[in-house]
Amino acid sequence: MYSLSKVFKRASLIVLFLGCTPGANAAIQGVTGTPDGTGVTFNLTTSTSNIPTPDGNSVRMWGYGVAGSPMQYPGPTLIIDQGTQVTVNLTNTNIPMKVSMLFPGQEGVSATGGTAGQFTQESSSVLGDTVTYTFTAANPGTYTYYSGTQPGLQIEMGLMGAIIVRSGTADQAYNDPSTQYDREYLFVLSEVDPKVHQDVEFGLLPMINNTVSHSTFWFMNGRLGPDTFFPDNSSFLPNQPYGSLAQMHPGERVLIRVVGGGREGHPLHLHGNNINVFARDGRLMSSNGVSADLAVSDYTIQALPGATYDGIWEWTGEQLGWDIYGTNAGGQTHDCNDVAPVDGFDDVTSEYCADHDVEIPVVLPEKQETAFGGFYSGSPFLGALSDLPPGEGGLNLNGGLFFMWHSHNERELTNDDIYPGGMMTMMIIEPHSAVIDPGNP
Amino acid sequence: MKNFKMHKLYIAMLATGIGMFSTNTIAVPFIQCPGDNFLSDGVTPGSNGVPEVVDPNVKCLHLSAGDGFATMADGRELYIFSFGDITGSDEANAIDDGIMFANLPAPTIVLEQGQEVYLSLTNVGMVLRPDLSDAHTVHFHGFPNASAIFDGLPDTAISINLGSTMTYYYNLAQPGTFMYHCHVEASEHMQMGMLGNLYVKAAQNKLPDGTNLNGFIHNAGNEYVYNDGDGSTFYDVEYPIQLTGMDPDFHDANETVQPLPFANMKDKYPLINGRGYPDTVIAGPLPAPVKNGGLVTQTQDSNITAVQGQKILLRVSSLSVTRFYSLKSLGLDMQVVGMGAKPLRTAADTANPYTTNTITLGGGEAIDVIIDTTGVAPGKYFLYTSNLNNLSNNTEDFGGMMTEIEITL
Ligand SMILES: [Cu+2]
Ligand SMILES: [Cu+2]
Repeated sequence: MYSLSKVFKRASLIVLFLGCTPGANAAIQGVTGTPDGTGVTFNLTTSTSNIPTPDGNSVRMWGYGVAGSPMQYPGPTLIIDQGTQVTVNLTNTNIPMKVSMLFPGQEGVSATGGTAGQFTQESSSVLGDTVTYTFTAANPGTYTYYSGTQPGLQIEMGLMGAIIVRSGTADQAYNDPSTQYDREYLFVLSEVDPKVHQDVEFGLLPMINNTVSHSTFWFMNGRLGPDTFFPDNSSFLPNQPYGSLAQMHPGERVLIRVVGGGREGHPLHLHGNNINVFARDGRLMSSNGVSADLAVSDYTIQALPGATYDGIWEWTGEQLGWDIYGTNAGGQTHDCNDVAPVDGFDDVTSEYCADHDVEIPVVLPEKQETAFGGFYSGSPFLGALSDLPPGEGGLNLNGGLFFMWHSHNERELTNDDIYPGGMMTMMIIEPHSAVIDPGNP
Repeated sequence: MKNFKMHKLYIAMLATGIGMFSTNTIAVPFIQCPGDNFLSDGVTPGSNGVPEVVDPNVKCLHLSAGDGFATMADGRELYIFSFGDITGSDEANAIDDGIMFANLPAPTIVLEQGQEVYLSLTNVGMVLRPDLSDAHTVHFHGFPNASAIFDGLPDTAISINLGSTMTYYYNLAQPGTFMYHCHVEASEHMQMGMLGNLYVKAAQNKLPDGTNLNGFIHNAGNEYVYNDGDGSTFYDVEYPIQLTGMDPDFHDANETVQPLPFANMKDKYPLINGRGYPDTVIAGPLPAPVKNGGLVTQTQDSNITAVQGQKILLRVSSLSVTRFYSLKSLGLDMQVVGMGAKPLRTAADTANPYTTNTITLGGGEAIDVIIDTTGVAPGKYFLYTSNLNNLSNNTEDFGGMMTEIEITL
């Protein structure tokens, strides 16, 4: 039997050996540019590199990168404040075709330098020229950028990334209080047809038939499961800096930003609860242009290619019908104090008080009757750890509840024919006592 | 009902397989169900998953997880994994009753908001794959505010081994259209067929006769998709419509213990409720597959009928493991009233449905559609995928993901 935790553990051992531990991430990683007097400037380059796949092979990619740093997949996330004038200087280092950038959802983009292409000005590695794109980030939200030069090929090769435009209000995705959040995560979804990449690597560019597409790798933030679980900037993934492991405490509002970064749709299913999606393509879902009154709640986001989605995900375990923290009689001593505000939940831990001290209603099977997941703490209760048979579990340090977030076109949970892998990550509900991020505990 | 001889042969084959894995023990299933005071020999306390002391707010279910066969519309019998409904089988017979009882789709589970559900899952093993000792789970897909222990994800909790039984507990706080499937080896077990309809009926259905819902008068027996407070999701008849597909090459490879083609997976049998057209419109169960030992395993039809003037609720879900599907109604408007087990309503809590005749779903998505047949001419209407190359049963060029809606006077 193939097991995700066994695959992950094997990978973990390798990584531990390299001096890097699995773990989650503090905040959305990205670049904020250099102040230039009137706004900010990003100096980007495009170059080619091979990225490793968990099946032990590698894939030739093209990527954007910050000038002087390695190319990366996806390209650097550009994090910009609303209203800022943005300048992007793009220089093609060594990709054997002209390249460019498009900024869907941004208004008034102008391009100078380089040579004129189909959609915009392009940069050539042969000529060594630089294209300058400018625009004002007028609207907050989640956006994508990608190549406007043979985009069918170049996005497949990796020339895409995300843009986050921050609203004027801290910790608020849009200029609407209903979009306030405590934490945020970004998931850029994409896929690779290795045949195309092989042809590029072998210098067969003219031979590529882009009408025949057969993806066999599916990525989340440019990584394949289980690499998605490793932290940002893991040293063994030099061109794939962005992890996807998410963590939160019960009761927090978590902003989820999803980007359809490739050329296929992926139904992103969130185990654990519905998500309230309030924006598409960097625009509030609104009938009045002010508030997200047309937000929709769903347990699967239909992430279509080129589209972006923003939503708030929450979890408390409300109305489970038993105490998710365990009972006092069972040794899981805790109180449920709902004083101010009186809302049915503990003021600190967000425990749902109506279920407080209610026994789990069924007897779980004997240990020898079950298989154990590596992310299982040995206990059904949040914050509790219990004994497991030797070699089982071990990947759940705080007694958190792990929920898988993944493409529900389940074929995409494979890496070139090997299960498990592909487009998957975990959201960990951590007990209130666990520190998730020293800067945002 | 059962073809006795063949069934016993299968049990013997399974026993041989189990012998190969001496670490697996076959225990008497522990079927947990409040109020179940079954006496196995008239004296000894036991269980059969049926409460003797009935509580209307408690629902007990017992599913087997194992293998079997399903018949495609071109007559081909595909090897499948799935669940079977063995609710009521007593502990002495439950494993026997579950062997080779994989259903396609998995048994439709109809629940009511407010119920406490005790769902026991017995892993009866794979008769034709005695080398596989896979565990199984039930993933209640979309369950709000879930716990990890009853989420069915093997990586984050526990899954039940061959020969053993686990009882899942769900407190149904919210109505809606969900779905369920096994999550062990998800890409494989789901392609193999461990997929089923699951929905929770709204508490609003049980309001006292004559209750005024903001001007809409509720009559006893009225049903609604959600607790809408205004009657906007009222319907007369309902049908679960689950879109899936099967790749015969994958199923054959599994049956013959060959490497499984994930990368090349292609659903050449696009299905509604586990059948291709025209089998979709055969009312009631399909005949038992010959290879199945005589067990009837395809009970969920998609034969939609209504009297002119009625509102038809289609609880459409997709558990395709390969692709998005668009579903089209020819000549009938579809009013989309809910998605992802939530009603479409504005922030001001007013109904906000939209009308269309094509809906698109990826795997793991559900859409609630109401078709109002007021003024619709009696006759036969078609519901089919507009991904037209999927109107086929493998090499047969017409069939696949299609069914009929029959409107009568
Ligand atoms: Cu299974
Ligand atoms: Cu699912």
